Parts: sequence; C-alpha cells; structure tokens
Amino acid sequence: MEGCPRSRETCPKLLDLIPQERKWYHDEEKNNSDQEKKLELRLAPPGGDEEDLSAMKKKKNLETRNNIKKEAEDKPIFNLSGNHFSPSNKTTYAPPHISHKRTAPGPVVGWPPVRSFRKNLASSSSSKLGNDQINKSGEGEKQVEPKREGMFVKINMDSVPIGRKVDLNAYSTYEQLSLAVDKLFRGLLAAQRDTSGGEGEEQPIIGLLNGKGEFTLTYEDNEGDKMLVGDVPWQMFVSSVKRLRVIKSSEISSALKFGCSKQRENEELKWLSGTSVCVEGSHSF
Amino acid sequence: MAEEEDLSEMANDVERHLKLDPPKPSPPPPCPSHVLENVLENVLKFLTSRRDRNAVSLVSRSWHHVEAQTRFEVFIGNCYSLSPARLTRRFTRVRSLFLKGKPRFADFNLMPPDWGAQFAPWVAATARAYPWLEKVSLKRMFVSDDDLALLAVSFPGFKELVLLCCEGFGTSGVAVVANKCRQLKVLDLIESEVTDDEVDWISCFPEGETHLESLSFDCVESPINFKALEGLVVRSPCLKKLRTNRFVSLEELHTLMVRAPQLTSLGTGSFSSSTHDGAQGEQEPDYASAFRACRSLVCLSGFRELTAEYLPAISPVCANLTSLNFSYANISPDVFKPIIRNCHNIRALDSICDEGLQAVAETCKELRELRIFPFDPSEDSEGPVSGLGLQAISEGCKKLESILYFCQRMTNVAVTAMSENCPQLTVFRLCIMGRHRPDHVTGKPMDDGFGAIVKNCKKLTRLAVSGLLTDQAFSLIGEYGKLIRTLSVAFAGDSDMGLRYILEGCPKLEKLEIRDSPFGDVGLRSGMHRYNDMRFVWMSSCRLSRGACRDIAHTLPSVVVEAFGSDDDDDDDDEDDNADYVETLYMYRSLDGPRKDAPKFVTIL
Repeated sequence: MEGCPRSRETCPKLLDLIPQERKWYHDEEKNNSDQEKKLELRLAPPGGDEEDLSAMKKKKNLETRNNIKKEAEDKPIFNLSGNHFSPSNKTTYAPPHISHKRTAPGPVVGWPPVRSFRKNLASSSSSKLGNDQINKSGEGEKQVEPKREGMFVKINMDSVPIGRKVDLNAYSTYEQLSLAVDKLFRGLLAAQRDTSGGEGEEQPIIGLLNGKGEFTLTYEDNEGDKMLVGDVPWQMFVSSVKRLRVIKSSEISSALKFGCSKQRENEELKWLSGTSVCVEGSHSF
Repeated sequence: MAEEEDLSEMANDVERHLKLDPPKPSPPPPCPSHVLENVLENVLKFLTSRRDRNAVSLVSRSWHHVEAQTRFEVFIGNCYSLSPARLTRRFTRVRSLFLKGKPRFADFNLMPPDWGAQFAPWVAATARAYPWLEKVSLKRMFVSDDDLALLAVSFPGFKELVLLCCEGFGTSGVAVVANKCRQLKVLDLIESEVTDDEVDWISCFPEGETHLESLSFDCVESPINFKALEGLVVRSPCLKKLRTNRFVSLEELHTLMVRAPQLTSLGTGSFSSSTHDGAQGEQEPDYASAFRACRSLVCLSGFRELTAEYLPAISPVCANLTSLNFSYANISPDVFKPIIRNCHNIRALDSICDEGLQAVAETCKELRELRIFPFDPSEDSEGPVSGLGLQAISEGCKKLESILYFCQRMTNVAVTAMSENCPQLTVFRLCIMGRHRPDHVTGKPMDDGFGAIVKNCKKLTRLAVSGLLTDQAFSLIGEYGKLIRTLSVAFAGDSDMGLRYILEGCPKLEKLEIRDSPFGDVGLRSGMHRYNDMRFVWMSSCRLSRGACRDIAHTLPSVVVEAFGSDDDDDDDDEDDNADYVETLYMYRSLDGPRKDAPKFVTIL
C-alpha cells in the first residue's frame, strides 16, 4: 500500500476482545474531545488514530523508562486509566487510517533510532502549522519551549535591535529577573558595541534595579504607563506587566515621561536593516 | 620559482659552510633546520588529509612543529578530548574548525539534557587566538545566542558557519551572525533546534550585495519574512544553495527560483500551495517552467508538506539530479515511481518509500548512498515486505557504497544478497525496528546475514546491526570486520562473549555504541587494551557495574569514564540495589583529563 503500510483490517490481537468499541470509535472520530474521553475509559489500546497513539506512547514511555531494565510487558497497556492519561491539546491532526499491532512490549526510549523531527510524517502533511511539542519531543519528554505554560513578555534593550522574550513565571524575585536580563542580553550587547572592531569583551549588565548601573529595567503596565521595575510587590508586578524595556539610566526621566517606545523600536530596527522596518512579534511575514 | 632558487642557494651556502670549516665538536649550526622547516612548510601545505598530517607530526619535533604551523583546518572528533587551550597552543594558524560534541545516541533521548558540549569555551579561546578564523562547523554541540554573538564580532573575515544537529540558540543568535559577518558565504543550519525568538533574522542581513553562496534554514521552525528573503536572494549573485523551511509555500518558492535560476541545490520548503481554492490554472505560476530554467540544479530536498499533484513540476530537472531527499515527504509509490524513473543520475537518495525501491533499482544505476526512513517509526506497525526491496536494490545498484535502511522485518537471504552484489559497501546500517526480530521466513537469528556483510564487504568501515542476533554474529564481526571504525549495536547478543569478540577482533574500531544488550563487566574489561586508541565507547542499559567502570578509569588514566542514568535527576536516595548499576557508560580518551563542566548527574569515575 502506498506509504501507509498499515491497513485498517489488521487489528491487534487484544482488540479481538473489543471489536464493537473500535467501530464506535471510528464513527465518531470527527470530534476530538470525544475521542479523548473514550481513551480514558478504555482498558485496551485503541485501534485508531496515530495522534492518540503517539500521545499515549509518550505517557507510556515516561512510565516504561523507569522500568526499562525489566521489560514490563503487560504493564503499559493497563496503565491507560483516565487520571493518568492527560490528553494533550497539542495533538496534530492525523488521517485516521492507521492501526497498530500492540503485541510487543511497551515502547522504549529512543527506539527506533529516528530523530524526533522525522517522527511525524503521518500527521505533518495535513497540518501546516505543525506543533513544536509534538514535533520535537518524539518519544521522550524533552520540552523545548513551554510557551503554553509560561508567561512570556517581550523585552527590548536600548541599542540592541533584537528583542527577546522572558517567561516571568520562571522567576519569583526581581533579583532573578535582573540576572536573567543580564544573561539574555550580555552577548548581544557586546556584539552591538563592537562597531569599531573592538575586542567584544562582555560586560555584565548590573544595577538594573537601583539606578546605579548603566542600564535600568522599566516596564509598561496594562494601562500603558511606564514604570520603573522594582517598586511594587513581585506578584503585583507580574499581574500588571505587559512588556519590559531596558533603558539607559541617563534617559530614565525622558523615557518614562514620553515613553514613545514603539517609535524608538522602529528607529532602532531601521538602523539595523536600512529602510525597511522589521515587524517584531508578528507572524504575518 | 624565486622562492625555490633562494632555498637551493641557501642549501648551497650551507654546504659550503660545512665543508670549509673543520668539523668541530659543537652543535650543528641552525641554518639547516631553518632550511628544512621552510621546505617542509611548503610541502606540508599540500597535505590536507588529517590522518596524513597526524602521521607527519609524529616524525620528529621539528616536523611536529612545522605541521602544527601549517595545519589550517582542525578536526576535533570529541570536544572533550582536549581543552581549547591545548588547541590554541599547538596550532597557531587555524582558519577552519570542526568540532563534534555529543555522541550520536544523544539524538534519541538517551542522554539527559544539559550534559555538556558547550561551544562557549571554544569560541572564547579561538576568538583570542585566531582572529582570522573563517570557518566553524559544529555537530551536536550546545551553542547559545551569546556564543553566536561573540563569534560574529570576533572574526572579521568569517565566512562559513555550519551547525549540524546543534541546539541552544534561537533566531536572535542567527540574526546577529547574519548582520555582523559581512564576508559570510555559508550559513547552514541543518537538523538543529532553533528556538523562535520572533526575530526577523532574514532582514538582518546587511544591505547591498552579499557574498552568500549557501543558505540553509530548513530546520528553522518559524515563519520568515518572505519579502526580505526574496530581496536577499536578489542581491546574492553567488548563491548556489538555498534550503528553505516549511513556511515557504510553493508560490513563494516559484518566486525564488525565478530570481535565482543559478541554484545548484534547492530545499523546496513546504511544496504545497498556500491557496487551495478552486480557481485552477488562472493565476497559478508555471512551476515546471521555473524548474526548467534552473539548469544547474542537481540537488533537491524539502517537500515538507507535499501536495502530490504539483510534484511532476520537477520532472525537467530529474535527469540532472544527483541528490534527492524525499524523506520528509508523505509520498506514495504511485507518485514516487514516475518521478524516480527519470532520475538516472541520482547518486544519493533519501526516502520513506520502501515500496518504490524496485523502480529505484531499475533506474538509478549510479546510486552510491541510500537512506530509507520509516514512514511510521514504531516497531509494531505492519510494513511491506522489506526483504524484497533490499534485494532489488542490491541487484540494481551495484555501485552502492552506503546504506541506511529501516524496516520491520528482514531475511538473511536479502542481507546476504546485498553483501554479494554490492562489494563497494563501506557503510551498512540496517535497523530492523522490531526488537529481537528473527528472519521472518526461517525464524533463525540474523547472524548469517550480518556475517555475510562483514565477510563479503571488504571495505566496510561502518556497521549498525539489529534484529535477533546471537554471540555468533559478533564472533563473525570480530573475525572479518577488520576495517570497521564505527559499530552500533542495539538489543543484540547473548553474553559478554559478544562484546569480547568485537573488542578483541576489530583493530580499527574507534567508535562503539551499544544499548540494551546483555554485555557486562567481563566484556568491558576485555577491551582494556583498546580504549586508549578509541574515540569513545557508549554502553547504555547493559549489565555494567560501577566497580568495573572504576577499574577502567584507574587503569587507563587518559580515558575519561562517565557514568550516568538516563533520567534527568539522580536522587541521592536511590535504591541501594541499583546503586552499583551503571545505566549509561560513556567513556572517551582525553589529553586533558576529566572535564570541569560535568553536570551533577554525571559521575566521573
């Protein structure tokens, strides 16, 4: 058969026990959430979708990884109870015509030895956007960018045309945030400063919170006001911050008063790329 | 010519000097060695092979010195085998650096993240020592945006950056490189993880004509500014290789091809139309004509979201293609076969379509490299009968040198046939995805098949085995695999004897990676005489104890022995019965002792 070697007719031996359920499953396959519910109730693997199977494989993998020395043959299959299985809302759409034999022991980390970006051939063709989580984690639980769990705000720095993003949920104090900013921008700042072919020595970015450093950390809140970072309790800050900006300490008063950050952004980007203006943070390329 | 005359004159002067003066009991005058060094330098400049150079450097101290001064390209197969300081001390005129970091099994989640292989110390050292550095190639290294920024500002003449299977950086770092490296000719991001910092890095290339010859970003999983890309292509007259990512539609690809008909290598992006409306043909670009205009195109890849109906557009270039990568395309045999039947000159083919192999065998007589990836990489799926495909290839493509083949099941007959039909094989990697699967016709282990490979393929240097294998298979590998440098073993063997056969039998073995096989301390110890001459040994989920690993570490001080678990965190309160068990052993020779940057979960014995 073309490219999709498995046919619907071959069903796993275990499923001989539940032929009815499988049929039922295929009839309602249009509704994804229904599918997920069905999986929660089952005791045996479904005969259907690639997507659920791969999501389930991930779940099983986490468990079997701990048992890998003793190949637990039956264990994975009966672990599919509702509270274990957390259907991810990140599954891609798969042409639902693939069924799998489930006679072998549970899947194993890193086997078959195929790199994760090759694993989604069955599903990637129908989904243009794809999905970072599925595409990158493969059989392991390797997280690349937990964008959905984090609280990401944009952060720009004066004289660095390239903006970054920080996950505020990753920190619980201003100190931590300040260290993160240093880490994010130190190299880029050094690169920017090397206009005269200097050494590119990296200076740590310090004093962001007390006005004593060369730079100061500011933010724009949900009302559009520009404020110095550090004045309010951390939680209050996190709940109201919309974006961050690292400005030159010498320009604190003017930056906070006039705060035309968008203009400044555009100017910097213009400098970088000639006359065209890069639109930052938008997917409309 | 003038130089040669000067040298011979000098040589004559020296001779006369020596003859005139009566022999004195004093050290010889320095002149001859200067002459020698000059001559040597000029000769050694022609030596490019690093193995030859390594041999040359062992002749004598002065040869060592001259060789070090004339080595412009340095290859470091394991970034932990020496320190950056040692590199810069020995080689003073390096222009090109190739560094490899993590071992290959790290690609399959067998290594915890944050294990190491940071580029940072290397870029810092080379920034100081080699300001004229032009080329950096990294494989399986951790590269941060800061590293890229430092690279971009430290080397004014920087020309080529190739990042293979790397991670740790994002589009911000790429943007800095694009912007600051004004002499950039090559920017190749291949199979790397590039985080999306939402930076329009394509727009960061400077205005005006660029020197770009190769730009590959097919692994970048974020949209790009197409207008900027088009503008970049227009002002890059030297551009020969362009590999776009899946966010480039077919229409956009067409635009690029029209702008750059001189391309030799094209990564076609999604190869799917962004408009699925019913309006047929009216405004649809003439794709076939665009391909026809690319007369120099020899390499095609991409096809990430292939819309099969458009594929025939590549027909005009098929006859010229030497390399074709369909491995990301969900391609069916009906679509694949007519295309491949035109590709008479293909030398390298990547595909998932194992059912089209008959057509490949009939048409692609020049095939040297074949990689067949699984459509569905799970071990339980049904698959077509793959033994026939392999047999067909072996009968049709006699010049085959390298094969990577994934299948569900295999027969000894098919593997043996390949060993007999393809004597030029140097790389044979067969992955039978069903673990411990025997020959599906006879029920016997796959020993005979792999045995035939090592017996008949006399040039074999790289071997990967799979399926049900007994110690007998390893006995054959040890007996016949005399040129094997890289060996990959998974879920195979019966006992320590298997490992012994390999370590005692394969004198050229440099890289050994084993997982989930019943090899233990006895087997490990039997290789004591070999580990100093190997690049690395990886053994995970085998039967090793800490004691044996410690013995190796104590006996061989120049081998660094790392032990760690496959999970991220090693709790301090592990079960006692597991405390002696080594989940993963990774050991490698090193000139500078254990590394200082090992994370907590790694124990260096």
